[in-house]
Amino acid sequence: MRDAVDPFEAIKVVFFQECDELLGDLEAGLLAIESGAADGETVNAVFRAVHSVKGGAGAFGLEALVRFAHVFETLLDEIRSGRKPCDDLTVKTLLRASDVLADHVAAARGQAAPVDEARSAGLVVELEMLTHGETSAPAAETSMTVEAAVEDEFGFRPVAFSFPGLGDDPAVEAAPAGEGWRVVFRPHGQMYVNANESGLLLREMSRLGETTVSLDISAVPDLSDLVAEEGYLAWTVDLVTDAVEAAIRDVFEFVESDCDLSVTPLPAGPARVTVEPAPAPAEEFDVAALLMRAQAEVEAPVTAATPTPDPLPIAKVAPDASGVNAAVEASIAKAAAAPPANNVTPASPAATAAPLAPAAVTIRVDLDRVDRLINVVGELVIQQAMVAQRVVESGLARSSGISVGLEDLELLTREIQDSVMAIRAQPVKSVFQRMPRLAREVGEMTGKRVRLITAGEDTEVDKTVVERLAEPITHMLRNAIDHGLETPSERIAAGKPAEGTVRLAALHRSGRIVIEISDDGRGINRERVRAIAVSRGLIAEDAVLTDDEVDNLIFLPGFSTAEVVSDVSGRGVGMDVVRRSIQALGGRITIASNPGKGSTFTLSLPLTLAVLDGMVVTAAEQTLVAPLTAIVESLTPRPQDIHHVGGHDAVIRFRDEFVPLIDVALGMGFREVPILPETGVAVVIETESGQRAALLFDAIQGQRQVVIKSLETNYQQVDGVAAATILGDGRVALILDCDSIVASSRKKTAIRPELVRPDVHRPDFKFAS
Amino acid sequence: MTEVSNASVSRELIAFRIGKQEFCVDIMSVREIRGWTPATPLPRAPGFMKGVINLRGAVLPIIDLGARFGLSTSEPTARHVIMVAHVGGRMVGLLVDAVSDIIQLTDEAVQPTPDIASDPVKSFVKGLFALDGRMISLIELDRIIPETEAEAA
Repeated sequence: MRDAVDPFEAIKVVFFQECDELLGDLEAGLLAIESGAADGETVNAVFRAVHSVKGGAGAFGLEALVRFAHVFETLLDEIRSGRKPCDDLTVKTLLRASDVLADHVAAARGQAAPVDEARSAGLVVELEMLTHGETSAPAAETSMTVEAAVEDEFGFRPVAFSFPGLGDDPAVEAAPAGEGWRVVFRPHGQMYVNANESGLLLREMSRLGETTVSLDISAVPDLSDLVAEEGYLAWTVDLVTDAVEAAIRDVFEFVESDCDLSVTPLPAGPARVTVEPAPAPAEEFDVAALLMRAQAEVEAPVTAATPTPDPLPIAKVAPDASGVNAAVEASIAKAAAAPPANNVTPASPAATAAPLAPAAVTIRVDLDRVDRLINVVGELVIQQAMVAQRVVESGLARSSGISVGLEDLELLTREIQDSVMAIRAQPVKSVFQRMPRLAREVGEMTGKRVRLITAGEDTEVDKTVVERLAEPITHMLRNAIDHGLETPSERIAAGKPAEGTVRLAALHRSGRIVIEISDDGRGINRERVRAIAVSRGLIAEDAVLTDDEVDNLIFLPGFSTAEVVSDVSGRGVGMDVVRRSIQALGGRITIASNPGKGSTFTLSLPLTLAVLDGMVVTAAEQTLVAPLTAIVESLTPRPQDIHHVGGHDAVIRFRDEFVPLIDVALGMGFREVPILPETGVAVVIETESGQRAALLFDAIQGQRQVVIKSLETNYQQVDGVAAATILGDGRVALILDCDSIVASSRKKTAIRPELVRPDVHRPDFKFAS
Repeated sequence: MTEVSNASVSRELIAFRIGKQEFCVDIMSVREIRGWTPATPLPRAPGFMKGVINLRGAVLPIIDLGARFGLSTSEPTARHVIMVAHVGGRMVGLLVDAVSDIIQLTDEAVQPTPDIASDPVKSFVKGLFALDGRMISLIELDRIIPETEAEAA
């Protein structure tokens, strides 16, 4: 095991990946129990999750994690066996324990600061108290086990494996106490492929008692027939222990399907070959020594059997030294090298297939590869559009073979693009899963009782969007609990249940993903918001604002309504930060508030940051793209529909409604003089907040799917421009940000424009405006 | 440019012309040189931002280097040249009149910029040197892109 460190690290990475999944399952299961939607299988699943974390952690010697998981598991086992009722208090404690367990995992991973010992210890005590609760006879054993595990600070003794629940089984009781078991363990090649290692299993068993290990090499073939990936070795372990059979089988829990395992009561008489004297349980089992001896033993007979080894197979097996040596090593330390066929991304060690969960067949692919594919498909779409344009320019008839073929190509291109985008689509679950914990913690910190309801976790959205959703949602959830919800006493006084409800929901709406965060708290105190805005000089004292506009003041930079700057939210960075990060994603955020009843924040984001259906328009000789999702209708303005409010602000009548008419080219500075509305085309759009406006362009070219190219990569964000794209003629066209165009045209009304841009020096502008 | 800390090490520079003046930049920061193609203007951009062009699928902002230096410039024609440069993790196109030369130079040959205070060129010029009777200004590209207001937008 020369390079034992690297494979070990690789397995560790896989272990932590599995931990993430297991912790997710654990929390989901506990939440299901809490909501009463659980059955017996849920409890079992929760137990298994904790048990698996513990098992893996034991293999890596993560003592603190094992200790905590053990206490956790013990209580869960009591619940599983029905000896402990699963009441509300218990579930709450379990949920907090799952948080601490996650902390332990993060700490073991080196990602987070060491676990808050006091919190962890406190929970251990709580869990123990619950475990001890009202159990009788077997509880004595349990408590001993638990205390031993907890109090033993330095050396964890894995009595953990003697589950008190199983100790009750009369059949197991009949096992010859004090004697032990003979375990015959013959791993298949598949076991090594799945990154399990027999040495670790043997070590795990040695923790149960005194072991006598013998190696059976009879199945090792001649060198010429030897397949390095196969498992030829078998071990017979005589284990002198008090542990029950199930405890031994637990050691092999993850490899059961990949090995032949027999556990029989130990016969009288000594074992045949003693390879390794049994170490004391708490000590490190010397695997290296064992393997060395195993190799020595294998080497002798096999080299004897093949006195003149064929050079070719040796070269095949391993280029160095003795082929047998390498082969034995390869099969024992197999974890390192999964065969290439199994390895989807050779670049990342994480690619070795997870051994559990036989559900849907999935592969792990490096995100870079997917991104490259998406980029290339993006180029394909552009190129296809270019060809189409050339064909049109060449004046070929629409019915010509080329045109027809091109149409098919367009359909195919679009299908490829959709399929590629689907690869990147991910449910928002991964983000939503983190929120229950946050809600609990914030609730605890602020002394509020919170019930978080989530809906639509399976809503799929592009991976880049999912990743960047976490921060704004976290922020808004904190806000909803800290600012939105009242304290239990306030709530009772207001005639509401003491426990506040925060609802987090995701849904698809007209080609976008919408995230709603609503609370049933006090709602926005408009008078206070207004007063603060006036006192901070954000609005003029006599400004006339609608309720909606007042609500939206909280998105202004530097606005925080919390009277006391609390630890939870209100560190000076407020909703403006949220809004900015949402806008950076091409999204919008709006608020609807009902005083005394609660508020709802609505985030609306594009499903993908890669493609967009757009309407290609011309304004002052510039080609622009308006996102199709915003467009309601396009029309040619008639002179009698155009009116002017005040001096020069034009409005257009659209279905008995007057909407502002905005000359886009003028607003973007592409021309100095507005065009006559009736010479252009008006495109009526609806903003995220439901306001309508008509954008005036020179002409409409058509509808097209465009590939979104970031302006920020090489330049910076531009007001009124969402992104750029490349059109069929190879030129760059700007994609309009309709909302910001509308917003900048009406900025001058209520909110003083200079305050919307915090980069402007305020004192200077006091006189200027 | 840590490898040129030794003063005697020579480095390669690429020289270009804007109007009647000659400038140069480190050749390592220039990725490619291409002819002028019409750029798509950006709204409310500063005057030296010529707009953006399509560089094999990437959106490349074009800076009119002459305008950036405060020199008088004319409308770009097909004879103008875009130097695609890597500046501070970004790719930018620098519009110049023509690329004239590749120069080998040691650091000792560079003289500090004389104090000609009000000239806006000075803030971009790292130093001057003489070559065959010509004066060539060594440009610090890091300051070419204005530190953006993107933070505040």
